[in-house]
Amino acid sequence: VAATELAVVGAGPAGLAAAVTAARAGVHVTLVDEYPRPGGQYLKGTSSPVTATEKQGRALLRDLAELDVELRTETLVWGIEGLRLALHAPHSLDWLEARTLVLATGARELVIPFPGWTLPGVMTLGAAQILAKEHGIPAGRRVLLAGSGPLLLPVANELVRLGAEVVAVLEASHLGQWFRHAPATWGNWDRLREGWHYLSSLRQARVPYRLGRTVIRALGSPPAPAKGRAERRGELQAAVVARLDRQGHPVPGSEKTVDIDALCLGFGFLPNVELAQLAGCAHEFDTARGGWVPRVDERMETTVPDLFVAGETAGVGGAGSAMMEGRIAGLTVAQRLGYISESELARELTGLAKRYRRLRRFGAMLNTLFAPRPGLDATIADETPICRCEEVSAEEVRAAVARGVVELDALKTWTRVGQGACQGRTCGPVLARLIARETGRSVAEVGVFHARPPLKPVPLGDLALEMCE
Amino acid sequence: MTIRADVVVIGGGIVGAACAYYLCASGLEVHLVERRFPASGTSRACDGLILLWDKTPGAELALGQASAALWTELTESLNADFEYARNGTILLAEGDEGLVAGGSKAEAMRAIGVRAEVLDRSGLRSLEPNLAPNLAGGVFFPDDAQVDARRATLALLSAAQQEGLTLHANTEVIAIRRTTSGNRRVSGVVTGAGEIATSTIVCAAGVWSNDVARLAGIELPIRPRKGHILVTAGVPGLICHPLLEGGYVSTVQSAAEDLQVALVAEMTAGGTLLLGSSRQFAGFDRSVSLAVLQAIATRAVRFLPSLAKVGVIRSYAGLRPWSPDHLPLIGPLAAIPGFYLATGHEGAGIGLAPITGRLIGDWILGADLPPVAAQVCPDRFDYQLSEGSGQN
Repeated sequence: VAATELAVVGAGPAGLAAAVTAARAGVHVTLVDEYPRPGGQYLKGTSSPVTATEKQGRALLRDLAELDVELRTETLVWGIEGLRLALHAPHSLDWLEARTLVLATGARELVIPFPGWTLPGVMTLGAAQILAKEHGIPAGRRVLLAGSGPLLLPVANELVRLGAEVVAVLEASHLGQWFRHAPATWGNWDRLREGWHYLSSLRQARVPYRLGRTVIRALGSPPAPAKGRAERRGELQAAVVARLDRQGHPVPGSEKTVDIDALCLGFGFLPNVELAQLAGCAHEFDTARGGWVPRVDERMETTVPDLFVAGETAGVGGAGSAMMEGRIAGLTVAQRLGYISESELARELTGLAKRYRRLRRFGAMLNTLFAPRPGLDATIADETPICRCEEVSAEEVRAAVARGVVELDALKTWTRVGQGACQGRTCGPVLARLIARETGRSVAEVGVFHARPPLKPVPLGDLALEMCE
Repeated sequence: MTIRADVVVIGGGIVGAACAYYLCASGLEVHLVERRFPASGTSRACDGLILLWDKTPGAELALGQASAALWTELTESLNADFEYARNGTILLAEGDEGLVAGGSKAEAMRAIGVRAEVLDRSGLRSLEPNLAPNLAGGVFFPDDAQVDARRATLALLSAAQQEGLTLHANTEVIAIRRTTSGNRRVSGVVTGAGEIATSTIVCAAGVWSNDVARLAGIELPIRPRKGHILVTAGVPGLICHPLLEGGYVSTVQSAAEDLQVALVAEMTAGGTLLLGSSRQFAGFDRSVSLAVLQAIATRAVRFLPSLAKVGVIRSYAGLRPWSPDHLPLIGPLAAIPGFYLATGHEGAGIGLAPITGRLIGDWILGADLPPVAAQVCPDRFDYQLSEGSGQN
């Protein structure tokens, strides 16, 4: 068993901030991440930082290199018992016994499916961003972006920079009530400047940014016969775009077909809370924080003592507030372990409080403003595959609801949803929306899939290895 | 508002579903009350094996044989696909000692009409080429079968609903009413959603049966015996028959409190492999233990070396309703007239569900009972009564 004073899971902006802050105070820190290099999705690639927030993130990476933090990359946390993490790296298993824990496991994208969304050529905004930032490859030659939220803009810019023809950026939200949220933007000049910068460079590139529209169907070429059993699926050729009413329902008669060879989708982010669930933290549903999140106090401590969360895991809010939360958690851990005094901690936290509240307010504003409207689920036609792993269609889900299913967990008994390799990470939130829509309950009432180890697939041969006791 | 029913079945797992099915088929007005949703307890946290050879000759095997025959019937009468497959199972022998034990097991089974075929090293390899080459052999039991337990539960319930079953899901039983005079027969079930008047109650709440029985004023000897299952990524065709390691029966029959592990591998229709099994008494805790997952993985790789590179995609733990003599409790309780038990099947609930439903039906209708009914009758145990309970 390896032992540490603080284990941080996830080396994105929040985890980096927690690790660097605590290590600087003298805490022995172990930082664990699944990827080969620290930085998370946000600090991937080497392109020069555009915004102040990105610069701040890069600075954390430099600090990390100078501090005595034990870095365990390419390491998956596959289970947790108490504050003991079960680690898996290729061909090795290990326990990490931590006195305190910070979970900074980030977020994933929400995709609201429609017929054709599984065609080759359709991908998430995040996947398009990785292709572009890490490999310099544009998602396609004629690309359409659709979904909701701020991520549409930097991805569109990145594609333009790489020479792709971006046909349009479709924002499902009408942003009609934005002025109500205007007070929340006060003081967040950096983020507003960032948005403005992206919008004006899109305008320069003559890329239309359309509000209240989305893709309701993707069309592929006819499947081609191929060698072997299965015929090759068709490739993406076009998308049907429709206007949306205020509730998000597609307006009949407004459909237009656009020829494209790539479609990038993203309807905002959902916190990755599986590890926090497995650790036994109490959760609550909060639209302003992006859905299900662990319940935390003002120092980011969950209902499990000495277990903290930071960043998108604690509520979707962007890299700025993620780093702030990492810092708050890191300082609290330093105090808990006796490296700084309670009065030092209180002073530091007071210094951060105002800026943190401001960032949080802005994040909550974005989450509320861009939250996918319930009508969007109407685009999930019966033939739409919802669970890709087990090939379950919306029709089967609706049939189960008609037979009395009112919660997500029960749906797993009636259909094979959530039983495949992704363990419902992709389909779970969509299914929850669908059940809610069909039953008239709230998404919160519909519940969640329960997380179970291993959190991601681990080969049996590796599971059979001795754990270093 | 009070509704009336001939029978109220408590518990929507496979045993409750089978009871409801056979009771409805005989024309009774049946209501089934389930705290959460169908198959939300042990019936979705188990494998789906219908085994004969693991049963002790006598009452247990008689039940198993009768139930296996009913399962075959149900594939016709239920009109639903619940992934029933009669592929047989293979008992694996690691060494020569195990093979000798397997041989005598096969002989004993054949003597009472259960087909069994002893396999040597090459015979085993020809049936299951992906097994480790150094295994001594095994025994093939061609009559064993498997189902998807969740689908089977839902199929039984759907068929019962077509025959008039009223299903109350997400409904908790709060109290059981008994008459104040006479023999204090049960008179109703109070739920969170209202009251159902009835003179007959079937408790099929599996491992949670004691929660129900206490409402009626009695304490049952059922204890939760925890088991774990690992699910692999798709490996269609890796094995052709469910496989069980030789030590399996001794872990089932052992009364040991601590952890027992023996390999059980079952291919699902979807191509994933279910890997078990573990047995331990750990209260009602359903959390997955990482050490148990490791122990099962170790056994699995020992017998199926090519699994080493296959990913485990998830795991779950379930609770088996253990009874002190390894026989289920099926039938009436003399102490509480009108209160029937259909519980205590430990790990054999899927296999024994149909015969349980059939016996409960026979008891309630006063039909002729097969000899085995007396051997599984709950009155073979002494019970603690709490007279204060059982509301009026």
